[in-house]
Amino acid sequence: MPPKPHRVLLDRVSVYADEAAAFMRRRRVARRPFARLYYPHGRSADHAQDSRSGAELFVAAGRLIEVAGKKEKG
Amino acid sequence: MTTVMIQEARARVTPGIFADMPDAAATALPSGESAEAALAFLTEMSPDLRGAAILGPAGEVLAATGEEPERWGEDAAVLFAAADAAEGAPVEQVHIATEQGEVFAIRNAGLTAVTVTDRFALASLMLFDMRSTLRRLADAA
Repeated sequence: MPPKPHRVLLDRVSVYADEAAAFMRRRRVARRPFARLYYPHGRSADHAQDSRSGAELFVAAGRLIEVAGKKEKG
Repeated sequence: MTTVMIQEARARVTPGIFADMPDAAATALPSGESAEAALAFLTEMSPDLRGAAILGPAGEVLAATGEEPERWGEDAAVLFAAADAAEGAPVEQVHIATEQGEVFAIRNAGLTAVTVTDRFALASLMLFDMRSTLRRLADAA
């Protein structure tokens, strides 16, 4: 007996949701800190954390994160 | 060593840093009230946002979250100083992702917006919201 049509739809949605969840999980695990600068006309450049410019950017970002503080819950 | 570098950079570049904006087209300064309203709207739209500030053409703080508004201006100047010095050209947007959170900064229409979000905030949405907030603010001014 073939499955009911709405079951097929639900199964398909579940598969997509599982795929998306797995993608986000992999992204969280694999993503490393980065500093990316965007210039006019769409050009962008990444700066490694161990480069001089990258280190300055990360220090400056750290100070801003400190100013922002923790997120208020609720 | 790093703190010394930052203090030097601040003293050296702060007066000119906001004059280097790629789009320094703002003619009138928005009022503090409209900047506060724009910041509240940005905060409302972005659930990942921890804190933010809007700065004027000279780097002055027009609106900021938290209890140390002046520090936003100082630290944003340091950030843009480092960013502009990286390749010797003024940047338009900055996105730095760290383990502790993410920093976005954008200069548009003569104004500057700086935000700090939780990790893994959607960068394109965040930058779009910031840019449109600054544009609206500049248009209103």
